Amino acid sequence: MNDIIDVLTSRKSIRRYKPDPVPEEMIDKILEAARWAPTGENYQPWRFIVIRDQEMKDKIGALSKVGSGSRMTAWYCLGHMQKRFEKIEDPVKRAEVLRFMYSGEVSEFCRQAPVIIAVIGDLRVGSVDVPYDLSAAAENILLEAHSLGLGACWVHGPVATTRDAKKFKELLDIPTGMGDYKVIAYIAIGWPAEARKHPRPKLPLEEMVYWEKFGQKERP
Amino acid sequence: MDKTEYFNNLVVRLEELFFHELSDCAAWKTEMIGVDFIQSANITGSTPEEIIESCIREITKAGLASEITYSISGKGILLRMNVKDCIHIPKETTIKAHGVEPYNCPIANMIRDQLIEKLQYETTYVASMDTDEAAKECALQVAIYETSDKIGEVTDWSNE
Repeated sequence: MNDIIDVLTSRKSIRRYKPDPVPEEMIDKILEAARWAPTGENYQPWRFIVIRDQEMKDKIGALSKVGSGSRMTAWYCLGHMQKRFEKIEDPVKRAEVLRFMYSGEVSEFCRQAPVIIAVIGDLRVGSVDVPYDLSAAAENILLEAHSLGLGACWVHGPVATTRDAKKFKELLDIPTGMGDYKVIAYIAIGWPAEARKHPRPKLPLEEMVYWEKFGQKERP
Repeated sequence: MDKTEYFNNLVVRLEELFFHELSDCAAWKTEMIGVDFIQSANITGSTPEEIIESCIREITKAGLASEITYSISGKGILLRMNVKDCIHIPKETTIKAHGVEPYNCPIANMIRDQLIEKLQYETTYVASMDTDEAAKECALQVAIYETSDKIGEVTDWSNE
């Protein structure tokens, strides 16, 4: 058995891609990885829609832009975004980063991704843990893509509100009934066009791990 | 039995459970709560002001709130509302007492819904909701986007 810690710790979200297509066999491997995600009582509620049509990617990109931008514009107007990015010292760079965020461009990048995989769950199969199962499948997709040298990013923005989720479903002909299918995200995948820098800083274990009981930080 | 209290308590339990499951994202997903009432009313108008005032007439006539004042500023994006004596104030008070900040205003949802349904607004977002239990009043800031081009048109709302 191979230790996969290097795969886990070197992965980061990639939002810029080369136009080169992703080979079919790689897409198949990614979907195979998703298929083996843990799932409550083996219900396997996940369904995946592989999207490569440019017109559809443009529509999803536009929806993503509106979803994220509508919230971030408001957060900027309230001053929340400025506080979040105050650590960027260069005012020009900070302003550009903020504009990138509140304009919604931050979530529009799937237009350039060669492949998008929509992760949806069948709510009618009796599964008890659909969102959790889908999240596990999405993580497997990200890790397999990374292990193949691809870049990927999990995007929730276009399905975060009830209306947007319905629009997303309508685009892809997914039944829109609230008891039919749950859509949690799409994942954009492609060859990275940005340097894979070290992942963003993570909290140290000491800040998140307790031993035996909540709040107990000392290892016995 | 106070049926309003009974139903508000049901909603509190659902809202705190929903927040527990989804954290802040719960607020984004509750936008349709309340729209059935307003969709059953005859809301008319060709401007946001006309639509909002038509909604306010129906809401106050039904006794869901005694008074709603509003203003639109911030390049047409910032809708400020004050909702007084809302039928759901006990819901907001109780959920706050349970440790969850109020996040779902059915009254705001109604107005947002009609801006979208009647004027084809692109999208809306409740940016803040402050509940004053003593005054029985809620103050809301709602971002309303007529078109997708309005997204990214920022102003300082503290000066609006």
